[in-house]
Amino acid sequence: MDIKQIILLSVLYYWASSTALSLGVGYYTMYRPVIAGCLTGLVLGEPFTGMMAGAVVNIIYIDFVSTGGSLEGDQCLTAMIAALMAVLFGLSPVEASAAAYPFGFLGILIWKYRLNINSVFVKKYEKKFAEGMNPHIGIYDGLLPQLLLFIMSAAVILVTVFVTLLLRKFIINIKYVLFLAGIFLVFSSTWNILYKLQSKKGYLIFAMSLTTALLVNPSSYIIFLIVSAIILLLSNKKMKLILNSKDYETHGKNGKIRKRDLIYSWFVWMNFSHSCYSYERLQGMAFAHSMRNVFKRLYTGEEEIAGAIHRHSEIFNTEPNMGTPIHGYIISLEESKQKNKIADENTDDIMFIKKGMMGIAAGLGDSYTQVVLTPLFILMSVMLCFDNKFIMALVPVMILASVILIISYTGFMKGYYEGRNSLIERVNIVKNSRIKTYFPYIFSGILGVSLGKLLIIMFSGTSENLTIYITVGIISMVYTIVKIKRRN
Amino acid sequence: MRSFWQINGGRMKKIALIRVDDRLMHGQVVVSWIPYLKVDEVLIIDDEYATDEFMTLLIKSAAPDNIKVHILSCRQALEYLNKDDEGTRILILLRNIEYIKKLLESNVKLNKINLGNLGSNPERKKYYNSVYLSDSELSILREISRQCEIEIKMLPGDEGKALE
Repeated sequence: MDIKQIILLSVLYYWASSTALSLGVGYYTMYRPVIAGCLTGLVLGEPFTGMMAGAVVNIIYIDFVSTGGSLEGDQCLTAMIAALMAVLFGLSPVEASAAAYPFGFLGILIWKYRLNINSVFVKKYEKKFAEGMNPHIGIYDGLLPQLLLFIMSAAVILVTVFVTLLLRKFIINIKYVLFLAGIFLVFSSTWNILYKLQSKKGYLIFAMSLTTALLVNPSSYIIFLIVSAIILLLSNKKMKLILNSKDYETHGKNGKIRKRDLIYSWFVWMNFSHSCYSYERLQGMAFAHSMRNVFKRLYTGEEEIAGAIHRHSEIFNTEPNMGTPIHGYIISLEESKQKNKIADENTDDIMFIKKGMMGIAAGLGDSYTQVVLTPLFILMSVMLCFDNKFIMALVPVMILASVILIISYTGFMKGYYEGRNSLIERVNIVKNSRIKTYFPYIFSGILGVSLGKLLIIMFSGTSENLTIYITVGIISMVYTIVKIKRRN
Repeated sequence: MRSFWQINGGRMKKIALIRVDDRLMHGQVVVSWIPYLKVDEVLIIDDEYATDEFMTLLIKSAAPDNIKVHILSCRQALEYLNKDDEGTRILILLRNIEYIKKLLESNVKLNKINLGNLGSNPERKKYYNSVYLSDSELSILREISRQCEIEIKMLPGDEGKALE
């Protein structure tokens, strides 16, 4: 490895785990092991080896959901290290994933640390504001936290890469143990997510698709097409609702806000929603940041602008894509507040609405974007990887990113033009979503095929006989059940 | 008047957990706590929300289908909780710590109080991670902690931290 590669990996880890500066979709693309692995492999000259290792890490982390800033393990870092080991040490994807697994916990330390340290920037901002300096929110929400995060990410990459290279001999020596640990991790993750789905039909579909995959090994390409068709069919009505924007561009409000102000505000929000994420304010600073250009349009006095931005820097947290009607709606309220010359003291209503709506959008959003859409598309990408269709494997991820962007953009605009009812409309669309209803079945099916394909790769790669897989499979099942029982 | 045996664990609602959370019913609650606690019902106690039609509609339409949601003012909630019931499992969500005191004062049986997210404001100081408390809130909590367990815990799987 040379210095250029280490720098590139640092940038990659920073960019992927920061989720900033990627229009909000970095979290659904680069942060996911399958893509992080691919990009790491690309830096090291073997994108597909890296992607394969990332795909296995992705199976291990398939039940990953982050709600309100809580994470269990850093899948992105794990995937990057797994890809690195697969390329540099020639480990199989399963061995590399097991070897990289412990590094995931290091990533979590950073995440927790980040939630604490970002309060520093909040305090700095507050201090400057109190001194009447009209601080630029972009510096405290964007520049400084991101700079610090980059330094931290680079340090982590430096340390982990160093440790990994140092342990090279040891890791290669315990290859067999890693192999066993790897299949154990893959199996327990599978049992765990199946248990979570709580669907008897799902178990059946999983067993059937696993058997089919092992016996006939159907082309993942065809399965991808079939699943996409099913999803399209199920979402038919919903897609229409989302795309049919009710010409919201035409019925303007005759206020000061222009369409391009809304787009820019949305753009800032998407790029910085988690930039200065702290226990103290969560996305509060980001919300204020996204309102900056709006207030610059509404008010002329520097102090007035800074004051209005500051008002919106209090605690805020929502699912950043599903929750955008809040932003749009708040902008329309602020616009009419300015128009009707309502004093700042009478803005309690705006804040109350904002806080009430944010929780709902978060609950609704997380249970849809993170729990349904993401696993579905990411798992399809993983399945395609296990069939060596690496280029094709990028397609589901791109679809996911586009869907997220559409959800987020239309929400923002509808919130502004159609008001608060657009959030209720959104709630109903998601609740009646047929994709959500049929998710356990579709997901179990793809999971079965993916696991089957992975097992086939492993059978062909080693001389191990079947008993070892069955033994590990049973042990992991017992382990998972015991773990679940203890947790309850 | 309720009879003696009712007060002593008769046919009442079974309160699985009380959670103090500024954001009431949000992602962590919907995705993690409700499935974990296996509750049938969520009771949101909040004087402001209870009178806000739009918010009530929004919260109710966003709730999972198999969960009943009630949004009541503190006074209504006391009445509601003291009604006879078949032992429905219930999760209580509230923002205002003082309501807990009122619940205890009117003999509602609570076994565990969970502190989730209490955001910062000028009166509050950081207590632990996402929990910020004002002096008066802290003293109320200390008082309550003599009667039931208080734990800071964001998600069911997290390690809890007891209030000292």
